[in-house]
Amino acid sequence: MRHGLIQWRENELSLADVKARQAHLQQAIVAAGLDGVLIYTNHVRSAGVTWVSGFTPYWSDGLVLVLREGLPIFLTALSKRVGEWVKSVAPTFEVAHSPFPGKLAGERLAKVDAKRLGVVELDRMPGGVVDEILSVLPVELSDATELFTAVRGQADRAELDLVRHTNNIAHEAFKAGDIDSRYAGDFTGPVERAVRLAGAEECYVAVAPDLSKDRRFIRTGGQELGRTFAVRLSIAYNGVWVRRIETFSAVSEIAARLSSVGAELDRASPALPADGSISAFYLPNGAKLIDWHLEAPHGTRPLKVVADARTPLAAPVPYGILTTAFTLDGETIVASRPVGIGNGSMREAAE
Amino acid sequence: MIGEIRKKRLIEAMLEAGLDGLVLYGNAWQNDYLRYAADFGILEGEGLAVVTRDGEVTLYLDDELEGERAAVECPEVKTVVAGDLIATVSGIIARLGNSRIAAGPKRHLPYGLAAQRGDLRFEDATALVDRLLMVKSADELNAVRSAARLADEGYAVFRNAAAVGKKDYELIAEIESFFRNEGVDDNFMIIGVGGPEVRGMAPPLGKILKSGDLVTTELTPCVNGYYVQICRTLVIGEPNEAQRKVFGIYNDALEAGLAVVKPGVTAADIARAENDIFRAHGLGEYVTSEYTRVRGHGLGLFPDTKPHILEDVSTVIEEGMSLIVHPNTYNPEIGYFVHGDSLIVRADGPEILTRTPRELFSVGARRAAA
Repeated sequence: MRHGLIQWRENELSLADVKARQAHLQQAIVAAGLDGVLIYTNHVRSAGVTWVSGFTPYWSDGLVLVLREGLPIFLTALSKRVGEWVKSVAPTFEVAHSPFPGKLAGERLAKVDAKRLGVVELDRMPGGVVDEILSVLPVELSDATELFTAVRGQADRAELDLVRHTNNIAHEAFKAGDIDSRYAGDFTGPVERAVRLAGAEECYVAVAPDLSKDRRFIRTGGQELGRTFAVRLSIAYNGVWVRRIETFSAVSEIAARLSSVGAELDRASPALPADGSISAFYLPNGAKLIDWHLEAPHGTRPLKVVADARTPLAAPVPYGILTTAFTLDGETIVASRPVGIGNGSMREAAE
Repeated sequence: MIGEIRKKRLIEAMLEAGLDGLVLYGNAWQNDYLRYAADFGILEGEGLAVVTRDGEVTLYLDDELEGERAAVECPEVKTVVAGDLIATVSGIIARLGNSRIAAGPKRHLPYGLAAQRGDLRFEDATALVDRLLMVKSADELNAVRSAARLADEGYAVFRNAAAVGKKDYELIAEIESFFRNEGVDDNFMIIGVGGPEVRGMAPPLGKILKSGDLVTTELTPCVNGYYVQICRTLVIGEPNEAQRKVFGIYNDALEAGLAVVKPGVTAADIARAENDIFRAHGLGEYVTSEYTRVRGHGLGLFPDTKPHILEDVSTVIEEGMSLIVHPNTYNPEIGYFVHGDSLIVRADGPEILTRTPRELFSVGARRAAA
């Protein structure tokens, strides 16, 4: 669930920002000859609804129905009491309650005499919801994932500012970790605390406890830390997700080198395009690349691997998280940084 | 070990029901079905476990990072990362032909999976798995007991962190940091801060604690997949007369509910015992769905599992269930109030798991945030 601070922050993501997104989606709906688009949400598959409304459910699930015009409708089985909370943290849609939100979606579609409904990630929509819709209205369902991805792929200034802010939270929080910690949990506990004190909505921590043995990340806090270890912070702040991985060592000579590499990555990353490429200039001098992948918001997923050494990027993304693993002077280093968030990253279409 | 025990129970239940296979869906919100079969605590993306009657379990995940983690954290389960989860699992199921396959939980099963199954259709596995989730094995109950210790310790951290001037989300930061240090995988937690204007709990809204505030919370740490909950309310400063009086009513309701718990009674019997206390004080209106959701619920691999403790739920309480009884609801004089303890149902009655004293805690009004 979401445990952290959830509130409407007009200065960070304004009503005008969200309305502009809704308008872009409605234009695409009309252009595709659809009567509306339906997007599912829960706290795992939150990204689609968060983008179109600024809202993330802390628990349970819901649907957002975006029609050709008018305010989107959040359809939920949550109680009216919780509905008051929803409205207080996202004044961007109408909230409608029913024990059967799919049925309610069908009723709203019937009101506008809808014939064609696009569903983002139709295959993944809970089957019960689809059955409820069709029980009310025999509407033609089609997959609207591509349509949504095309609109969503355009970055806007508010989102990029939030990505930078969230990355800064992660950067600062890592300073709370004690590199002399014996166990992973001793290092990560204070780091997570720092993330949450900075007002994050959620924080997942994973550790690769000994990079000389294994580069895979796990969540167990009881693992003993090796000479070099990496920590992955996945942070949600005001609906935006950022991952940041840093590699640490208690050996002062290695620690100094890692710190210098980290600073260099921080300098180079923001301006790097989120286009599924990795620039030859990105890695430190003398580094040998082991592997890389690019993550980005995709459909209802806050972050998903969208490109790697074997798979090119299929569609533009609003920003990316580039993860690299490389060796340098005999040490394995893993790093993640946001890319495509420099001043030149916003395409004209997003204006 | 505990995963093996669950798998054995699952296979036995499948064979008893004459099923050839099971398909169980899960994500970080609704993870209980998936975890029962595959023993993986999924965090991102979605997963499907395919279980065959010969005891083979394969975990399909759509997230590469989660696939990597599953390979390390539960190496005994075969894990497959499938970008197109639905197509991959549909292909596997198609190879099973027209054998009897059940899937669950029904409400959350992805539409594409059922659509690709076509006329063969899935049988509904919901009741079969729900029963296993509700009535636990001895090893599962021991895991539940371990989580209870951390619920109590977590509440002590929460209480110690509460101070005038502190923001609600700062309390959460202290709790989560403590829980991560203690190896707690997850925690369901909501909070309320204020007075009569507070009608429920939610994630923190950035409220600053002040003298006279009631601070309510449900803490639900998860240890090795099992959740246990504690509900308590504290007052910033000395409780006033109304707060003390209302606490007495909720405490009586909690004790009345707990007194009823034993094998053979129904969920409705427990709810009625709690609600009768409110009705006796003229507060019957506040035990309706207008003001409260449930009067308790099951606990286990999901923090809010069946049975829901409500006056219209006829589920029979059985030995081996783990529950929380919590008469949480709004009170017009002082606002939303919570009070609840977790338990295991034993043959002779409830084994109360959470040991934090049942009192209206008071945090010195002069204790200021550092």
